[in-house]
Amino acid sequence: MRCFQELKILFVIYRWHAVVSWTWDAHDETCGICRMAFDGCCPYYKLPGDDCPLIWGACNHAFHLHCIMKWVNSQIPQAHCPMCRRE
Amino acid sequence: MTADALSLVCNLGVLDSLSEASISEILESWNSFCLITETIVKGDDADLSSSYSKFQSYVSSLCKYGLRSLVEEHFLISLQDMLEKHVAPKFWKNFDAYSNVTDLEENDKDMHEDEVELLLCKALEEISLEKQYQEKYLLMLVKSLQLCQDSTSMEGHPSDVEKFFFSKYHLIISSVLMTTLPRQFPEVLHWYFKGRLEELSTIMAGNYEDSESQDRIGMELYGKGKHPTQFGNMDIDGSYDQKEILENKLVRNIGMVVHNLRSLGFTSMTEDAYASAIFLLLKAKVFDLAGDDYRSSVLESIKEWIQAVPLQFLHALLDYLGDSISYLSPSSMKSPLASSPSSCYPGASKPSEGIIRWQLRLEYFAYETLQDLRIAKLFEIIVDYPDSAPAIEDLKQCLEYTGQHSKLVDSFISALQYRLLTAGASTNDILHQYVSTIKALRTIDPAGVFLEAVGEPIREYLRGRKDTIKCIVTMLTDGTGGNNNGPGNSGDSLLEELNRDEENQETAGLDDDINIDDKQAWIDVQRWEPDPVEADPLKGSRYRRKVDVLGMIVGIIGSKDQLVNEYRVMLAEKLLNKTDYDIDTEIRTLELLKIHFGENSMQKCEIMLNDLIDSKRTNTNVKATINQLSQTGAESQEHEVSFDILDATIISSNFWPPIQDEVVNIPEPVDQLLSDYAKRYHEIKTPRKLLWKKNLGTVKLELEFEDRTLQFTVTPVHASIIMQFQDQTSWNSKNLAAAIGVPVDTLQRRISFWISKGIIAESSGEDSNDHVYTLVDSMADGGKTGINNEELVADDDAERSVASVEDQLRKEMTVYEKFIVGMLKNFGSMALDRIHNTLKMFCVSDPTYDKSLQQLQFFLSGLVAEEKLELRDGMYFLKK
Ligand SMILES: [Zn+2]
Ligand SMILES: [Zn+2]
Ligand SMILES: [Zn+2]
Repeated sequence: MRCFQELKILFVIYRWHAVVSWTWDAHDETCGICRMAFDGCCPYYKLPGDDCPLIWGACNHAFHLHCIMKWVNSQIPQAHCPMCRRE
Repeated sequence: MTADALSLVCNLGVLDSLSEASISEILESWNSFCLITETIVKGDDADLSSSYSKFQSYVSSLCKYGLRSLVEEHFLISLQDMLEKHVAPKFWKNFDAYSNVTDLEENDKDMHEDEVELLLCKALEEISLEKQYQEKYLLMLVKSLQLCQDSTSMEGHPSDVEKFFFSKYHLIISSVLMTTLPRQFPEVLHWYFKGRLEELSTIMAGNYEDSESQDRIGMELYGKGKHPTQFGNMDIDGSYDQKEILENKLVRNIGMVVHNLRSLGFTSMTEDAYASAIFLLLKAKVFDLAGDDYRSSVLESIKEWIQAVPLQFLHALLDYLGDSISYLSPSSMKSPLASSPSSCYPGASKPSEGIIRWQLRLEYFAYETLQDLRIAKLFEIIVDYPDSAPAIEDLKQCLEYTGQHSKLVDSFISALQYRLLTAGASTNDILHQYVSTIKALRTIDPAGVFLEAVGEPIREYLRGRKDTIKCIVTMLTDGTGGNNNGPGNSGDSLLEELNRDEENQETAGLDDDINIDDKQAWIDVQRWEPDPVEADPLKGSRYRRKVDVLGMIVGIIGSKDQLVNEYRVMLAEKLLNKTDYDIDTEIRTLELLKIHFGENSMQKCEIMLNDLIDSKRTNTNVKATINQLSQTGAESQEHEVSFDILDATIISSNFWPPIQDEVVNIPEPVDQLLSDYAKRYHEIKTPRKLLWKKNLGTVKLELEFEDRTLQFTVTPVHASIIMQFQDQTSWNSKNLAAAIGVPVDTLQRRISFWISKGIIAESSGEDSNDHVYTLVDSMADGGKTGINNEELVADDDAERSVASVEDQLRKEMTVYEKFIVGMLKNFGSMALDRIHNTLKMFCVSDPTYDKSLQQLQFFLSGLVAEEKLELRDGMYFLKK
């Protein structure tokens, strides 16, 4: 970014290292199964973000993938959303 | 008088039976005997042999009448009389000059020592001659008595008679001398031996150095040629022989003096005198060798010197006196070293018990002297650690011998109080001394028992300092900034060093794993010893636990969680201020912390580092795809700003310490970049999105003046402020604050950086609260010309990205402040643990008091600093 002005001083920004936090674009803040923050991670995995993804059901309720997998496995044969009981 | 004596001894019956003639014979013989005895004893009899025959006849005539005991007694009394009246006074007169002992010590010592030597030798020679004469006279009596023995046959074997008289005579001479002893005589003896020993030491020192240069150790030296008997069979150069002769002569002279003194009955006084001279010399030698040099070991040299000088002297002396085997009370107490093969006389005759005992006495004295010397300087030695490791090793050996560890503890604690635990010492210095103390003392005290006692005052003191945790974390994790004071350690964090030590120990342990059980059992048995008395039984009952340096450091704070917390804050600060994604050292440190504090404690820190790794990847990814777009599509970008200048650190904020969120209007073009960046991210990472922390991060910018260029690395707020001046060179504070979107006071704080750099000038505006800031057009007043490439970094302690642990704690503790104030109002004053316990008791809900004692202490020290409370003798008061 260069800008001459009458004083003949040139202002140059040549590096801007910014800080930003990421968040899940979800309506709720916490997972309905483990009650942990989405932006944290589920009890089963230690790294947040891509390694502990969220999943949205047809009802638009979000859960940690790991949490819902565990839930689904325990609910054989038929799994419902733990929040609204929809499939 | 003689008649009176007679009547006392003889009974009346005998008197009756005596004829007149007999009586007159007795009286005549007695008077003549007395006369001749007087002449003989006086020693001025010219013709002793003729006197002897007369003497003999008187004696036999008196014995005939049964007056033998009277004869004996009279003769001995005459000798004693002579001793008392002439011999002893003459002997003591020699030492009259030294009657004022204290005066003498002030005078020139060397001169007096020489004088003393000559005088003592002369006096001893004289008195010994007198003694020889008297012994000769005594022999005359003995012979005369033996002649009449046959007729009377009342005594035992002739030699027994002789022995009887001589021992009686010796008793007389020594009691006469002892009762007339002038008080300075022991001192005179002491000076004599001191002088001789110093002379001997000088001669020996020559030998000693020779032997050093010939790579012979002291023990060998001893075996080789110090015995007068082995003297002849050596083929060493002449100078050595010369010394040998000199030394032997000296020892013989001393031996003569000792012999004479002993024969006069001064046996124990003599021994005391040379013993004290030896100890004095040894003490001087220890001081001389030890000095203030802590970087070399002196114990061996001291021991060698003991072998080379005093022990050789004693050996030679006892040899000369012919009683090296039996001398010095053959007590049944065997010294522990007596049977040990380490005795220093290889091939030579076995050392006598007396010599061994001397060796033990001297070594103990040397150990104790060196130990006291080192303990007195322990503080300096530890400052100098690890360079001073040899001195520590010496001290360890001394203490093992003397067992006086408590001396060390007491003396060192008072040195600490006086020298270290003072307001003037920086927390960093105290911590480094603490660590050095641990490292140094664990050699002496592997079980850490004394360390516990010594370390407690330091820990207690550090707990009262607010920056302790921070300093600890810095010391542990930062190898660059900390002042590691060991050589070769620069750039190494303490954690790194501890880890290396541990690895070394492990590999050392793996070297010989065969029969490790047997071996360990053996070592354990060898090493077993009861805990020293100082040990608190609860703390010290674990034998041979290893001193855990890290544990002792964590012990200052009380819990590792606080330490980890502080580290997390510092790590966050460091990571958020990075201009790149290079985190190699942080990863290494984290690995080390994981080893010591466990993976779970470090999980959040690990995620923080992981964020940096992810950010680097994502950042490249986002920028690459945006650049593609901009190249293919929107050419019509109105700004020349490219994505090249932007990098982002994307954090998982749940795992970071609370971030200081502040609104700031950053320059429009950059703001545009950020939203483009976020959009692109959202496209790639749906359903994840980004929330900018616009006040955080780092900006590198360059100001190009006509005559020079200045580069700065600053915070986004600083950058936003200065960029405002590119379109408008003068701003009043209200408008500028509004433009940037920060409160005026924040602006004023931040802009001071640019003012201090001379980029912006401040002047007061129309309104007194208003300031006008103007861009300084040229640096005419600065006088600097040309291009200035120095990178100036804006770092301001007030501008932290992350809330500090203390801030967090203060926030959490503030709810308890009113309880604490209330309690103090009621009770007047309270100790730390009482406040702690009361809070625990009453604050059970809303919010529950869950802080540690140390956390409370930190909080209270904050209140003391704010002058709300006062701390006196461990009690807290309300400040009035
Ligand atoms: Zn979950
Ligand atoms: Zn998960
Ligand atoms: Zn649902």
